Amino acid sequence: MANMTPLAERLRYAIPQGLSLKIGVLLAVGALIAGPLLRILSETLAPQTIAAWSDVVLSPLSRNLLWVPLSNTLVLGIGVAGGCVLIGGFLAWLVVMTDVPFRRTIGLLATLPFMIPSFATALAWSSLFRNSRVGGQTGFLEALGLAVPDWLSWGMVPTFIVLTAHYYSLAFTVIAAALATVNSDLVEAAQMTGAKRGRIFAGIILPVALPAIVSGASLSFAGAVSNFAAPALLGLPVRMQTMATRLFGMIEIGQTARGYVIAILLIVVSAFFLWFGNKVISGRQSYATITGKGGRAKRFELGPVRLPLLAIGMTICALTTIVPVVVLIASSLAPSSSALFSNWTLHYWLGTSNPSIAHGQAGVLHNPFIVSATATTVSLGLVVAITGSILGLMVAFTLARYRTGLVSGVINQIAFLPLLVPGIAFGAAYIALFGAPIGPFPALYGTFTLLVIAGTAYLVPFSVQTGRAVIQQVSGDLEESARLTGAGFFRRLSAITMPLASRGLAAGAIIIFVKIMRDLSLVVLLFTPTTPVLSVLAYRYASEGFTQFANAITVVILVISIAATLLANRLQTKSQPWLKN
Amino acid sequence: MTLKQVLLSTAAAGLLAMPAVAQDLDAMSAQELLPLAQEEGTVTVYSFTSRIAAVEAAFEARYPGIDLVGYDASSTEQIARLRAESAAGIASADVVYISDAPVVLSELLETGLIEAYVPPRMSDLLPKEFKSPLLAQRLSTKVLMYNEEANPDGAPVDNLWDLTRDEWSGRVVMVDPLQRGDYLDLMVEFVLRSEEMAAAYEAEFGVPVTLDPGVEKAGIQFITDLFANDIVLVSSTDDVNAAIGSMGQSNPPVGFTSYSDRRDNEDEGWALQVANDVTPSNGIIFPALLALAADAGHPAAARLAIDFLMGDDSETGGDGFAPFYVAGDYATRTDIVSHPDAVPLKDFSAWRIVPAATAEIRQDVADTILILQ
Repeated sequence: MANMTPLAERLRYAIPQGLSLKIGVLLAVGALIAGPLLRILSETLAPQTIAAWSDVVLSPLSRNLLWVPLSNTLVLGIGVAGGCVLIGGFLAWLVVMTDVPFRRTIGLLATLPFMIPSFATALAWSSLFRNSRVGGQTGFLEALGLAVPDWLSWGMVPTFIVLTAHYYSLAFTVIAAALATVNSDLVEAAQMTGAKRGRIFAGIILPVALPAIVSGASLSFAGAVSNFAAPALLGLPVRMQTMATRLFGMIEIGQTARGYVIAILLIVVSAFFLWFGNKVISGRQSYATITGKGGRAKRFELGPVRLPLLAIGMTICALTTIVPVVVLIASSLAPSSSALFSNWTLHYWLGTSNPSIAHGQAGVLHNPFIVSATATTVSLGLVVAITGSILGLMVAFTLARYRTGLVSGVINQIAFLPLLVPGIAFGAAYIALFGAPIGPFPALYGTFTLLVIAGTAYLVPFSVQTGRAVIQQVSGDLEESARLTGAGFFRRLSAITMPLASRGLAAGAIIIFVKIMRDLSLVVLLFTPTTPVLSVLAYRYASEGFTQFANAITVVILVISIAATLLANRLQTKSQPWLKN
Repeated sequence: MTLKQVLLSTAAAGLLAMPAVAQDLDAMSAQELLPLAQEEGTVTVYSFTSRIAAVEAAFEARYPGIDLVGYDASSTEQIARLRAESAAGIASADVVYISDAPVVLSELLETGLIEAYVPPRMSDLLPKEFKSPLLAQRLSTKVLMYNEEANPDGAPVDNLWDLTRDEWSGRVVMVDPLQRGDYLDLMVEFVLRSEEMAAAYEAEFGVPVTLDPGVEKAGIQFITDLFANDIVLVSSTDDVNAAIGSMGQSNPPVGFTSYSDRRDNEDEGWALQVANDVTPSNGIIFPALLALAADAGHPAAARLAIDFLMGDDSETGGDGFAPFYVAGDYATRTDIVSHPDAVPLKDFSAWRIVPAATAEIRQDVADTILILQ
């Protein structure tokens, strides 16, 4: 034992600073993320499947299999990222920096859209804007006698709007957390020296918020390119395909190898775009501005535009949260999906089996799985929120402190990959890799452990991105001083980084929890019959055409998600200075 | 002999007897299987339809002491699961109840993940095609349907080639065949039946069909013309049903969907009706298959469950078959009569798919459609 300390001491100085940390993190993300994806890659390289590459890239099929879906996907990704940053950033600024009334309400509403499944938002869109192209019942606007053109009912425009309405809350969450850390002394100093609002914004606020803006844009981009529900519902009637709908279709009709090739190309192309975007926007400098000190500045006084801005903010929130939620709830009560607001009944919630309704399906609260599914789902969400946050923090910390070098670059790229992989492909990769025993380790297929590992890996990008936006601003000076006085890595992490970065981490943990709560695509292949989760229950109902039951389960998921957010808000009220006056 | 020794020797004898038992199980009647199944105590059924929940209740009422665990998963998911479980060495499923026959034969039967089983009492009650290579329990459909409220005098279409005329431009709806296997099978059938399609063309337009450059068969020409005529693709059969069936439409589209969805007309406010008098056919009819999972953990209970799902000897198949005795689903058993509200099977004009033939050209047809989109 006596020899250990000097040895450790020597090692500490012999190894270049941070290398062991970097290698450790690299191994972790390598095993969790790169491993399964390499496994998919190797499946496409087998002799009997290698032809899939030429089919996809270089054949008469390529145009519709790859190029057209790819360009649609990129247009959507870039457009949605821009839209989300504008809307999310605007709302974050309104809530955090200004004296607009009802800040707390706007702040809460702006975090909700992400919890509403994107198919519900898409459904809400079509119940308003649907035209007669697909026959059946037309939407609200056509019922009023307005002719809705195809481009507003189907295809790129509605998909773009629905995805922006869904993902802007990610950008909001991240940017709001960053804005709240703007050093008030700087703002106050600028105000006292007579700087105009625009100048304060461009000179102080924007630079501080930039890492968060990049994070928000990246998250929205990745969400948009891998989203399946919205383009499937709104794009198909005009034959608009994205990479995600193509991938799903290929797997669904048994052409798995081609599906995997599409997934790999989606990852490669998106990774390039994200890398390029990050480089252009944030490659120039780093921002370390908070030192854990400084009180709140006076809020910007909006003066005469106070009420108009309130109206704009509230309208955005109402359209993206209240309308979809109302449609969702209504469709869990209405017997006919074509008349959402008539003949409401609680049968789909409470009713006992009645042979004349829905083939005798009893209400969801009679489903024997509802209790166990809820328990499994919530515990999975909690466990993954914790494991994910820890892993995310390690990665974010490593990247923030050692931002240059090959290893950091590789970690950065790998940590972002899962976002680009549609969940079903990630689930398939996990089964391929961990389904069979590896050496001394037993097969994990069908275990809760596998779900936790897969969920943790799949959601790393969220915790890393949100954590990083805050962590980058924890001054390196504090950390440096602690290191010089002999504090070890974990001590520094727990005494300095964690407390200062807690808000960003909490935000990340909520996002992870919510994402796991409602995520279907990842778990659909991983769970075994005896341990269902809520989203799988909802999917089972929906796939059998029992829409009302599916929506009722979705409402349950929504209620749990909102409760989680409210609880988290309450727990961290103390650390939410932007909501105080 | 101590109790322990008795137990051990019994267990050893049981092990020795295992292979013989497994072979015998196939020949046993339900009465003979019952005590063995009760010893096993449980049976897990992977099912592509949620109606397994109703079967579960009926099965447990008939055979108390045996717990039927129904697990509802799409055919694609079942295949992925069975593969993963086999790789992990887990035998979770006992019975597989699955559609998508063309894929099932190559992905599951040929790879040994499932095994065929026909209950002995069925041997005289099923035509050969429904016993081999796998047991078929019933037949489902993807056929041309129309809105009967807007067309009180019957179907507005009497020939498939009608759908390529201008008046049906943008007014034919179906699920994207590159997202759902059964719709791809429908497209494949048009190609397999190219001769009939060519004859139907001549009947409709009075001249022989002319094929575009690069198009080799009348069936492919039909698919090409259908896409050129702006066919509307949606993502689920319920979207098709709502598009065609919703009441109060002045000029509703027609489209391909499941005949049995007509049973939801009242609940959903639809007016779906099947177009049966269509030249050369109104679509496809295909089997729902029952098989044993390889290495089923509960072999006797698995066979008993399959036996139960095939229905009893009454005219409508009794409790086991009740969830499937609806208009638009057809029993494969010759002694179960067609549902009174449905077109009788012998008069139904849909083509019966031959899974092996479908599997052969499935990918080529998918590629053709991919280019058309």
